[in-house]
Formats: sequence, structure tokens, C-alpha cells
Amino acid sequence: MSKAIKTGLTAFAFVSYFIFIGIPGRIGVPAALPMLAVVAGLFFWLNLSRAPAEDRPIRILRAGLLAGMTTGLLVALKSGLFATLLGNGVSIQPVFDKIVPLNIAALLGVQPDAIAQAQVALLRYLVQMIYFTGSGVLGALVVVVSRSHVISSGGPHPAPARTVQVGRWLVIALPFIVLAIIIYLGLPNVKLFGTNRSTVRLLLTLVTTGSGLFALRMTRPGRERMIVAMLLGIGVLTMPFILDQFQNSVMGIVFIFVMMGLGLNIVVGYAGLLDLGYVAFFAMGAYTYAFISAPFSSPLIRSVLLSWGLSPESPLLGYWMALPLTMVAAAIGGVLLGIPVLRLRGDYLAIVTLGFGEIFRLFMLNLGELTNGPRGILAISQPRLFGLTPDAFSGGRLSSQGWIFLLALLGSALVAFIAMRLNDSRLGRAWVAMREDEDVAQATGVHLVHTKLLAFAIGATFAGLAGQLYAARQINIFPENFSLFVSIDALALIIVGGMGSLPGVVFGALALKGLPEVLRGVDEYRIVTFSALLVIMMIVRPEGILPSTRRRLEIQLAEQSEAGADLLGPEKRSKDPVEGRE
Amino acid sequence: MKTLLEAQGVTKRFGGLIAVDQVDLTISEKSISSLIGPNGAGKTTFFNCLTGLYQADAGTIGFDGRSLVGLRPDEITAQGIARTYQNIRLFRGMTALENVLVGQHVHLRASSWSAILHTARQQAEERAARSFGRELLDFVGLGGQEEVISTNLPYGDQRLLEVARALGSRPRLLLLDEPAAGMNPRETDQMMELVHRLRDERDITVFLIEHNMKVVMNISEDVTVLDYGKKIAAGAPQEVRSNPRVIEAYLGPEVMVHP
Repeated sequence: MSKAIKTGLTAFAFVSYFIFIGIPGRIGVPAALPMLAVVAGLFFWLNLSRAPAEDRPIRILRAGLLAGMTTGLLVALKSGLFATLLGNGVSIQPVFDKIVPLNIAALLGVQPDAIAQAQVALLRYLVQMIYFTGSGVLGALVVVVSRSHVISSGGPHPAPARTVQVGRWLVIALPFIVLAIIIYLGLPNVKLFGTNRSTVRLLLTLVTTGSGLFALRMTRPGRERMIVAMLLGIGVLTMPFILDQFQNSVMGIVFIFVMMGLGLNIVVGYAGLLDLGYVAFFAMGAYTYAFISAPFSSPLIRSVLLSWGLSPESPLLGYWMALPLTMVAAAIGGVLLGIPVLRLRGDYLAIVTLGFGEIFRLFMLNLGELTNGPRGILAISQPRLFGLTPDAFSGGRLSSQGWIFLLALLGSALVAFIAMRLNDSRLGRAWVAMREDEDVAQATGVHLVHTKLLAFAIGATFAGLAGQLYAARQINIFPENFSLFVSIDALALIIVGGMGSLPGVVFGALALKGLPEVLRGVDEYRIVTFSALLVIMMIVRPEGILPSTRRRLEIQLAEQSEAGADLLGPEKRSKDPVEGRE
Repeated sequence: MKTLLEAQGVTKRFGGLIAVDQVDLTISEKSISSLIGPNGAGKTTFFNCLTGLYQADAGTIGFDGRSLVGLRPDEITAQGIARTYQNIRLFRGMTALENVLVGQHVHLRASSWSAILHTARQQAEERAARSFGRELLDFVGLGGQEEVISTNLPYGDQRLLEVARALGSRPRLLLLDEPAAGMNPRETDQMMELVHRLRDERDITVFLIEHNMKVVMNISEDVTVLDYGKKIAAGAPQEVRSNPRVIEAYLGPEVMVHP
């Protein structure tokens, strides 16, 4: 029982955090309380599903009820305290800058004036408690229902019951339903969500893309998966046309990071080479494109060009002509980094690559003669289609940011396809073998130098592609765009999504690059939130949200063999505890 | 019989310690021979010198008339030498079949471009590699376990999988480092039978390190004994068994003083 109260306390801690950073006030009056309750419900579900398998349903339900009541009571007390203080003219803002009438009012579901005049009906607190208690019970109910299904079907391959089928199809239908809502919200005369409509649409866009990945997982391999994948692809490709400039710009950066993440995934996820200076290749792509497609700003080059009778104002090459050049430049960069670090492993490799990433940025900063230093390269030319601007060739349906998003989508698809094919080839197997045991891989016939350099070069090429699109999106680039944090973001997104997993990279990018834009108002807490998210992730789900089949299978089978060890008796030898660990 | 491997004066030092000291050894084709010796005698170090994991400080190693000195481990594997490890070292995240596919790495020629495009040739090569992999798993007795993650196999099967992975490179010489270590008598018998079948059915020369004297005396045609890095005896199992220096190395000098 005390465990249930602890769960309630933890949920309260989460909700408290959201209150302190002003989330309820951002969401607004009618939706804030239910949304917080849903988040708490998700937490209760995750937490209760870890209860021992032999627990009776009534016990789980009771635990859910108790946990929910604990959270509800504490939230009510907290909002009561703040409401009273605010109502009596005490200013808490100097201490907690987001504890303002607007925020607490949204939490209680009343108008801000009611808080300021200390006129909140007691019923409001009761409603709050009921919401959180309900979320606790609902979370427990989901656990109980999903368990009863497991028990009734039995065995590792349960017969597909009708409820499971319905649930499966619901998950598959979800992204399409959300997409429909997005389109509806985009209609000119819809007034729902008022001024927050743009943010809500962005959130839904992230949700629909993310749930699309889960939907794909739910399909059966074969024709069913093909059809759903095709429909999802069409759905995603329509997005650039229906979103507005803001949403498109966020989704553009999300998918630029997907391209980058897919490249880093090859280096870190497949080949196991921890590269912390990955931003250098992203910067190489961006700067290479900037050099040849922007008017030359450096006095040195200008004077040289003028002396040759060329105009320094007109770009040398357009986006598509520059593409092979940026790819080659980034690939060469990858090999140049790869050669000196061939013999390094693990921590040493991480430190050297970290330095490499910073060195490149500092070069761009200090080579003022060429790169214009901290003043950056300005007016980088935009990608066009047969010389036409997006507005012209789409008849006004595609905004400039939508065009970038569309290109990022297509680029990500291409890169993902290449990564998938490579992973399933001789080279991909060599990468994994090298990651697992470098010496044995070499003794088994893997050419370490080729294999490592190919991983670095291919990873760098993908980052270069992403960098080029990024430069085009930003129009002006500066050395500070390529700080260490870009590397860390890219690494964090593949860890959150699931090392070595392609859908995981997409999911990680949505969570790490998309969500912060939704939470624009609480941006100062972004780093804290992500640190917490990463810590929790590593504890609760070390394999990532959408782990690759290889890792999932590994973990599943390890659990099975642990459970089965007692039944099989001495015939089944226990492995060396150190060797058996992953 | 034709000589397959010839080592002369192979020496490996680690600082002041001479782990392998001027060892000469010849292995004839399609033979089964053993390397024995007390713990720390330098047997595995000698194996590592043969397979290129260590570079020998002195001496020559010839394989089928070509020198192996200075070659990288993957080049030596391509020449036709494969090995297993004393403490099992499988690629842990990979399935049994994938382990054997990595074993075939040196014989797969398709480029990465063809893998991206799924060209007909690359697909045919992959299919052939998979069916050869299955054949090898069947051969060592792991048929039907293709999709099992390697570390989730029982201990004895992991040793068999290491053999299958080594066979993937189509070796002419197979080095087995304590193949029967940690196995029960039944599994040991299976391993001995497998070694015989390797030679008889696949024409592979087998050279093994083993502590289990029953295994050594039963299957080897030739036995070499190392002690403190030096070769102290070589010959047929019966001769080696009665060699006084070997008995001294294993049991200590007192036995000779008070027989």
C-alpha cells in the first residue's frame, strides 16, 4: 500500500514540475486540467504495469485508486495554497516566476480574476481531486485489462483475440485521425483553441508523425505493412502543403535532424564508434554549400574574383549542383577524422572526436578572411525546382518552409533507405561484428580500416546533406550554429529513440527537436526537462522508445531464459555473470 | 604427407617475459594435431601468433608455401586459417546465422553500392551465403537454431556456433582453442566426433589446444608439448605420454626423484 502512495507522490512531483514551469497557463482554461490528468494517467499506467504478475486485479485497482487520490489531494492542496496566497495579494513571482493567477486558474479551471479576488469555489478543488483519482483508476484499469488478455491467451504467441485486433487497428488508424484533425484545424473559419491553435496543430503534427511509427510497428509484415506504409507516406507528404510557415519550419528542422541522426546512427548505433564531434560534418555540409551558393563576403575572395572579371555577388552553383560537392566534402571530412582515430576505442575516441568538432567550429570562427568569422555567411541561395520558387511551381500551395520540410522528408527517406539496405548487407554485419568485438571481427575476416572509414564517411555524408539543407533553411549561417550542443542533441535523439533503430531516430528527433518548440513559453526550462527526460529514459527503458529488432529480441530472450532457467534445471548451465551481461 | 603449416623459431616476448620461445612446429595436411602444456605455457599466445592477433618477435610462419609474417588477422583468415576462442567470443547481439554470415565475410564480394540497389548478383550472393550458413549450422548440429541470438544458446551450443562461424571462411586449417572446456562428457564426445567429421567430410586440417587428456589422446595423430614457452616434446600421443620431460612438466620434478 505504501508503494501506491509513493507512486502518487512521484506523479505529484511530475505534475508539480509542470505547474512550476507554467504549463497549465500555456494550455489555457478548459484543456489544462484534463491534459495534466492524462499525463498523470500515463505515468500511473507505466508504473502499475511493473507490479508483480501474480497480483490480483483488485489489488492493482486499489493501488491505482490510492495513488490517484494521493496525487489529487496534493495537487488540490498545492493549488489551494497558491490560490489563497495570490488572492491575498502575496506575490510569489519573485520566487517561482510562473506562479501567477493565469497559471493557477488554468489548473483549477476558473478565470484568472477569480483567483485574484480569492473567489474559488471548494467544488473546484474536489473536481481536481476527482480528475487525478480517475486517472489513477484508469491507469490501473488499462493494466488489468491488458493482463487479463495475456492470461487468457497464454503462451508466447497468443491467438489474436478480437479485442487485440480492434486495439491494433485503432493504433494503425490513429495517425490518420490526427491528420484529419490537423487539416480541420487548418480550415480558415475554425476558431477552436483560439490563439493557441498554431501550437496545438504543431503538437498534433508531432503526434501524428510519432504515432505513425507505432502504427507501422503494429502492422503484420507483408502486404498489410506495405499498404499502411504507403498510406502513411502519402499522409506525411501532404503535411508540407497543409501546415503553416511556423509548423513547417519546426518540422523542417526535425527532419534535418532525422537525416543527421540517421548518419550518426550508422557511426554510433551500427558501428559502435562513439563520435561526439559529429557536428563538424554537419558544419562542413553547411559551409561548403554556403561558400559556393552565397555572394562572397570575404574581402580576399572578392578582390580575387573581381581581378578575374567575375562578379562576387552571383552564386557559383545552385542547390542541386552543389549537392554532390557537399557530399564529397563531408565524406572527405569523415575519412580525415577517421584515419587518426582508427586505433582509438571507447572513451578515447569520444574525447578526440569531441575535440575535432570544436576545432572545426573554431576554424570557421577565426578564418575571418574566408568565412567572415562570427559575422557569418549571409544570403545563401534557396533550393529551386527547375529554376522556379516553391510558390511558383506549386501555385502558392507550398510555402518556402514547407518546401524545406518536403526536401527534408525526401532526404530522410532516401537516407533511411540507404541505411536500411546497408544494415542488411555484408557491410552492416561487419559493423555490428566490429561493435561487438573488434579483435574477433578482424580475426573473422573483417577489414577494420575499410569498415571503420566507411562508417565515418557514410555517416559524415548524411550529416553533410543535412547541413546543406540546414544552411538553405537558415539563409544566414554563423559558427555558433554548430556548437557542441548540436552533437549532443543528435546523440541524445538516437539514445532516446533507440540505438540502431531507424524509426527510433525519427521518434527521437520529434521528441527532442519538436517538443521544445511546442513548449516555447517554457523554453528556459528546456535543458532541465531534457536532462530529466534522459535520466528517466535510461532508467526505465535503456533500449530506447523504439528499439531495433535486434536489441528487442536480445532483451526479450534474455528475460525468457532467465525465467526458464529454474525449470530446465542443471541441463541449462548458467552463463558467466560477467560475460552474459550486455 | 604434404606440410600445410610450418613454423620455425617463433618467439613472442611481453616485456621481460618470453611467452613463446623459439617454437618449431609442422602440421601436415588433413591431420589432427594437438598442442598441450600446463597453464601459462604459451599455447594461446602461440595461436595468436599464428592468426596474426600478435606479431611474432622472431621466427617464420609458412602456410601452404606462403609466409604469414606481417599479415593482418583478416588477411590470414583469407589465406585459409580460422579459429575459435578459449573463452567463447561470439558476436553477442547477432543471431546464430548472422554470426556464420560474418564468418563468410572474406568470401563475399558484393559492393556496398550493389547492396543499396539490391542488384541481382548481390541478392544471389546473399542467398548463397545464407544457405551455406544454414548448411554449416546443420553440420555442427545447430540446425533450426538460425534465428536464436547467439548468447541465448546453451553453453555447449555456443562452442559449436564458434566452430560454425570459423567454418564460414572456408578454412583449410582450423585452430580450436580448448574446444571441450567446460563441457560435460556427452558434449565432449560430440565435439570429438565433430572434429573427426571436419577432417573426414570437409578435408579440414585441425590443430587444437586441449586440457582434457582423454580428448587429446583419442583424436590427435600428433601432439606437441609446450612448457614455459618452450617446446619440450613432440610426436605420437603414446610417445609423448611416456616422455619423462612431459611428466615432469605436468607433475613436477619430485615425481622423477621418488618414482
